[in-house]
Amino acid sequence: MKILQEYAGALTNFEVLDFLRSRGAGKDPTRLIAGIAPSEYKVYDYLEQTAASTQTRDIAIEFVQKCKEYNLAKAEILNILNIRPSCEAALYPIIEDWDIRFSVEEGKEEEELGLLKTICQVLPPPPSVMESGEGIGVEEEDNPDEQQKKAVE
Amino acid sequence: MFCLSEIEHTLRLPPHLLNLPLAEAIKGELEGLFLDKVIAKLGLCISLYDIRSIDGGFIFPGDGASTYTVRFRLLMFRPFLGEVISARLKESSSTGLRLSLGFFDDIYIPRALLPSPSHDEPDPEDKNQVRWIWEFNEQNYPIDGMDEIRFRVHSIQYPSLPLEQDDGSKPFAPMLITGSLDADGLGPIAWWV
Repeated sequence: MKILQEYAGALTNFEVLDFLRSRGAGKDPTRLIAGIAPSEYKVYDYLEQTAASTQTRDIAIEFVQKCKEYNLAKAEILNILNIRPSCEAALYPIIEDWDIRFSVEEGKEEEELGLLKTICQVLPPPPSVMESGEGIGVEEEDNPDEQQKKAVE
Repeated sequence: MFCLSEIEHTLRLPPHLLNLPLAEAIKGELEGLFLDKVIAKLGLCISLYDIRSIDGGFIFPGDGASTYTVRFRLLMFRPFLGEVISARLKESSSTGLRLSLGFFDDIYIPRALLPSPSHDEPDPEDKNQVRWIWEFNEQNYPIDGMDEIRFRVHSIQYPSLPLEQDDGSKPFAPMLITGSLDADGLGPIAWWV
């Protein structure tokens, strides 16, 4: 066995899900007739629970277009598409050098909120939105722009 | 999380598959060989993406089977460093957490990479397990088995096959992902919503 190209392109969760669906993963309730192995079904089950299951190709293309103005790296766009962060804190581990690019000063605030807004508008929410029923879901930092963010949404 | 890798392989096609169309027979053979197996440095093979070319078809003397040189692309699970992934809690012990993705279970969060002031306490439900609690602003945030947990990939190792293994020890894991929960936005989703 010879490895010709170790890395021939990255795929978002949505593309993998689309690939499995095109081979008939979702259509067969017995899971025996479609030519899909049980290990592939495990991947399919995992992906169905993530945000990727409600995305479509058009949504993904539109999102990448809209992200051009924010100067995001390809890995960051990939992460956002896979995770679909819905709040600022969730976005924090994805974007590198957050402080430099989206600082909390007056001028740059717009950009960070703009990115969150784009995410919430363009990407559909994941299938079962997790509820913070226990009541411990408290935002860690009380930034002044949090109030603004709530007003925006 | 997923990427493509292009591989070339010399495949021997057993004679009992001669009645099938060639592409199908080769696909079946390749899937049996690579699916759900870890290839060092490439990751866990999820699926055969496509076949790019099939060459050959020679029959070597003394053999009843034909040999093909196939070029194909495999869909591999190989997260990149720094990627944020959602997983579920599988085990929780005093050395750290173990998370599972359903199709991949060897994700470990060692004690050192848990959010900084954390302490563990024995789990009230299960004697062998330990529950991790994060203390922040004088509030306690537990990590329990209900939620999806977001972690960031810290490193991926491919340990080599051990020569001997004692019975009863953990089954050998050819691919180990070490994750970290030590940043804002990571950890159970309920902490940040």
